[in-house]
Amino acid sequence: MAADTDARWVPIAVSADIPNGTVVPARLPTRMIAVWRAASGDLYANADRCPHRGMRLSHGFVRGQTLSCIYHGWRFGSDGACQKIPAHPAVEPPNTINCGPLPMTEANGVVWGAAVSPAVAPDQFTGHNALRSLVIAASVDAISSACKGRRVDGTIRAQLGGQNTILLMNDYGSGEVQVIALVPSGISAPNGMKVSTALEVLRRTAEGMGDAA
Amino acid sequence: MILYDYILSASCYKVRLLASLLGVELQLRPVDFHPGREHQGAELLALNPAGSIPIFVDGDLVLTESAAMLTYLAARHGPDWLADADARATALQQQWLAFSHRLTAELGGARLVEMLHFNGDLKALQSNGIAALRELEAALFARRVAGGTFLVGDGPSIGDIACFPYVALAPDGSISLDPYPSIRIWMRALRAIPGFIEMPGIHRLHELAPDPFAEAPS
Amino acid sequence: MTTAAVRNAWYPVGLLSGLSLDGKSSLLLGEEITVFGSRDGVPEVESGGRALPVVQRFGHLWTSLGYPGKDLFTIPEADHPDRTLVDVGVVRVKCSPLRAVENFLDIAHFPFVHTDILGAESHPEVRDYKVEIRDEVDEVWATKVEFYQPQAAKSAGGGITTEYMYRVPAPTCCVLYKTCPPRPGEWDVIALFVQPLTEDLCDVWPWMALFDEDSTLTELIHFQQLIFVQDRSILENQIPKRLPLDPAMETPTRADLTSVAYRRWLKRQSYTYGAQLVAE
Repeated sequence: MAADTDARWVPIAVSADIPNGTVVPARLPTRMIAVWRAASGDLYANADRCPHRGMRLSHGFVRGQTLSCIYHGWRFGSDGACQKIPAHPAVEPPNTINCGPLPMTEANGVVWGAAVSPAVAPDQFTGHNALRSLVIAASVDAISSACKGRRVDGTIRAQLGGQNTILLMNDYGSGEVQVIALVPSGISAPNGMKVSTALEVLRRTAEGMGDAA
Repeated sequence: MILYDYILSASCYKVRLLASLLGVELQLRPVDFHPGREHQGAELLALNPAGSIPIFVDGDLVLTESAAMLTYLAARHGPDWLADADARATALQQQWLAFSHRLTAELGGARLVEMLHFNGDLKALQSNGIAALRELEAALFARRVAGGTFLVGDGPSIGDIACFPYVALAPDGSISLDPYPSIRIWMRALRAIPGFIEMPGIHRLHELAPDPFAEAPS
Repeated sequence: MTTAAVRNAWYPVGLLSGLSLDGKSSLLLGEEITVFGSRDGVPEVESGGRALPVVQRFGHLWTSLGYPGKDLFTIPEADHPDRTLVDVGVVRVKCSPLRAVENFLDIAHFPFVHTDILGAESHPEVRDYKVEIRDEVDEVWATKVEFYQPQAAKSAGGGITTEYMYRVPAPTCCVLYKTCPPRPGEWDVIALFVQPLTEDLCDVWPWMALFDEDSTLTELIHFQQLIFVQDRSILENQIPKRLPLDPAMETPTRADLTSVAYRRWLKRQSYTYGAQLVAE
């Protein structure tokens, strides 16, 4: 398993799955993170844990350019700094209170996260764009053989639903893998649906392979 | 219109939720489901021999299935919510109402075991519940690709209301909703409808209320 | 970790009104127990062929895996004959028993978790209150706690500033005394009795002794279940699962002084079941 100090980009979400003004849970190999998009459209990531009482921030809410915890409403800015503690409205929160911002970036409709800022940008997949993300309860090996794909640097290239599809892998290390499928940019909605259906078939096959994989 | 109601029942909540969205007032009659098991007592069995809640009474009409209650409320007070413009939509609506029974049995069953000490095969309930969530996720993804948000037609309908509560409460039965982005977007759209009410385990969207700390415009 | 303090404490294991003559199996501190009702005698609790001590109080059956050196606490205020005693019923929560107690001692979450019932986002301020560990009774007390509540109780018509007192008489039990709208000068009593099944799983038995002549018993049960189950999704999503006793792990403010005292009191008596001593 990768260490938490890994300076390595991990695919964690599809950009379109995080509309403006929302927060979602995501995973790095060693920790849970909260990814949120401010009203402006800017995207941020931080530890999925409020420093106050440990509540998952992905259960919270986004107002304007800030993320709030659902438990006590503690409000954090894009730099992770606590801006407001509602129980003490007149108090300026000390700048030591921070929810731990993490590096993230978006490319090809994919959100990438990392525990430590990598030196280089994530892989580019020119001409491809993210379609959908799904979690498969099987190993990367089982997924690869289920789609008869070709492994290239931690990704799988396969023909799915008649399209050249690239599968990005986020191995949770607990027997589950998050798969983000990229398809040729600009494909029609019906063709996108064919790939989506093929992904469902792929999941059933990979999960059915069990120990044989 | 009287609703025999339990505050922690997601099936009762469906009826309260639609009534609120339609601006219709219900007379609530609280039922001591837990710990009293009043739904299994003589008075309520006389009304509903199946021994389940909710029970809905309007004059001499007695309904014991939440999907029927949603249909009745929508037909009387908000026909748009029936989303039955054509044969296809009518059939899809029935499909989702039937699907909601699977959610109740599996996700709701896991919730009763995990939260209120009911008996049941938890592993089977969870695994069937996850299968149902994956089907819903795939269907909602298809709706997004087609430019839609809700299960049938352009707006929310009774199929959405029938499916929403047990999906939102899946974590009560130790089933994570983290892997389902399309379900998350759909639930958010439902929670943003004016007149939405919450139930324990389903929080409101605080961000829709004005920011109490916003600087007053000078 | 099951220290002597942990084993010798009293724990709730069932509603006296809901015991089964055939016995119901459960867990206490990770050990299997069976709880038996009795047609005319005293209910019994058994663990590994051994009969455990029992006490019947507050509508619940209590037991201990060890040898309790003192009697289970009492709540004298609850004895008033005009009070309605409410057995709210069990709710299972996947959290540390200590996190469940600590959440009950907290008012600052009312505007966000019990919105428009126990709190409102427009009135989030927690004013200073008084906290002490009362050595003579070995209990944690918070007094002069005030908070604005839109609908403080089933019997409260509109928004009022409610006064509270919080009391921790045992490591997994807490009692809340709050302003009683129909009876100025009296306190409503709301208690949370927590049965630790394991370090991160518990059965919570809320119980109330209220002055309320207008609401039905079922309405009172529903109100308390509504409030407690609103907390449940919070309790199941706190990280880490076990309550950190290391002050560096979490960030208390003045509003959290009750919880600070509670954690210190737990540490002092080596009550560490469901707790985490050092950061992981």
